Order: sequence, then structure tokens, then C-alpha cells
Amino acid sequence: MAKVTREMVERSGVNVDQLVELLVKNAAAELTTYYYYTILRCNLIGLDGETIKEIAETARIEDRNHFEALVPRIYELDGRLPRDMKEFHDISACPPAYLPEETQDVNALLKVLVKAERCAVRGYTHICNLTAGKDHRTYDLSLSILHEEIEHESWFSEFLGEGPSGHFLRRGATSPFVSKFLR
Amino acid sequence: MRKFTKEELAHCDGKDGRQAYVAYGGKVYNVSDSLLWKGGDHQASHTAGQDLTDALEEAPHNSELLEEFPVMGILQED
Repeated sequence: MAKVTREMVERSGVNVDQLVELLVKNAAAELTTYYYYTILRCNLIGLDGETIKEIAETARIEDRNHFEALVPRIYELDGRLPRDMKEFHDISACPPAYLPEETQDVNALLKVLVKAERCAVRGYTHICNLTAGKDHRTYDLSLSILHEEIEHESWFSEFLGEGPSGHFLRRGATSPFVSKFLR
Repeated sequence: MRKFTKEELAHCDGKDGRQAYVAYGGKVYNVSDSLLWKGGDHQASHTAGQDLTDALEEAPHNSELLEEFPVMGILQED
């Protein structure tokens, strides 16, 4: 725990217990998504599936990075992760990104992926709104994650034919926004 | 369609095995099956059994997400 850190956030008017709960729930969402995306990526096969596999892999690795980046902030604010991973799974801020019944249906897989990313975009927008101008470190972290989640959403959305994303896949290293929290 | 008083709605708070209902725009929705309303708690910010019409204005999503849930009735005005 970083005592003065927590005190400063409390004095700014943020409900720190609520914030920590949100961070834990979103950390759970990131780690569970990393797991479910592993399965989705493995099933992205064939001409259509292989086209999407690389961005699914990038999103998968970046979601794991988000989990890694969130954990220190949770402990700084005197939070903790549940001892039981089953409990951790079940408190996720987003529903499980299950592999669809029709595993060959790339469109169905894409819908799972974009739904998961949209949940994440909503979650980090919420945390940014709660912490803006108050808890600078959590805001910076949440905003960095939000940048990456928005890109993930736009990649998958583009493949669903919802319109151009305006983005291209990563050139080089993953997590261009969150990497500063992983050093 | 069933009419809910605020007291009846408040009872559907998702705690201790009770159903989790929320109101929006005069309609009462059953969100019990949503993992995001487990135990009547939503994103550490809202609890079931309440009229969330005003709260949704501040939420990072619109009312479309609520339309996925069954409508159980309408909320009686005071």
C-alpha cells in the first residue's frame, strides 16, 4: 500500500473503495479475456479466420498487458486480488468471451471479439470519468488502456463491415500506450 | 402489464437470491441473468432495485443495452 497515495486520492473526492473494486473487476476482465481470446485465436482458421488472427493475437497480448499494468495500482491503493481465481473470474467487469457454438463462423467470432472490446471501452471510460482531474495516476493508466481498447474495437468493427477504422495493425511492439506502465 | 411501486422495485435488489430489477424510462427490466448485475451490483456503481433513468445519463453506455433484458412491468409514478 502507498499510504499517502491513497490519502491524496481520497482527499480529491474519489471513493477509493469503489475505484479499487472497479480496478479489480477490470483486471479480472483483462485476464479472463486473455484466456478466452486464446481459444478464439486458435479457432480463427481458414482464409477468413487467418486474416483476423494477427489482430486477435495483438489484442490478446495487450489485454494481458493491461492486467499486468492494473495490478500494481490496485495494491498501491490498498486493494488486493481475490485469493481464489474462480472468484476472480466471476467478478469480471465484462461477460466471458466464449467461443461461439459454430466455431467455423468467423463473423460470429468477430462479434464476440467486438462485444468484448466495447465492454472494455465502456469500463475504462467510466474509470477515466471517475478519476479525471482527481486521481492522476489511475487516470493516466486507464486512459492508456482505453487508447488500446478503442483501437481493438475499431479493428474488429472494420472486419464486420461497420465502416473504416482509420487504423492499421501494430507496427512492431505491442501496447504502445500501456508499455510505460510495464517497465 | 404489472405496475411496480418504488417499494416493490426496491425489494428486487438482487441480494440473498432475490431477483434484480432496475427501472429506466418508466419500464422495469429484469437483469438477474446478467453477469454484470451479479448480486444486484453493477460495476461497483449501481445497485438493483432502483430507477436508473437519471443515472444512465452519466453511464458509458446508452439504453440499448437494457433492451436485451425482459421487461417485467412499468414503474408507477409518485
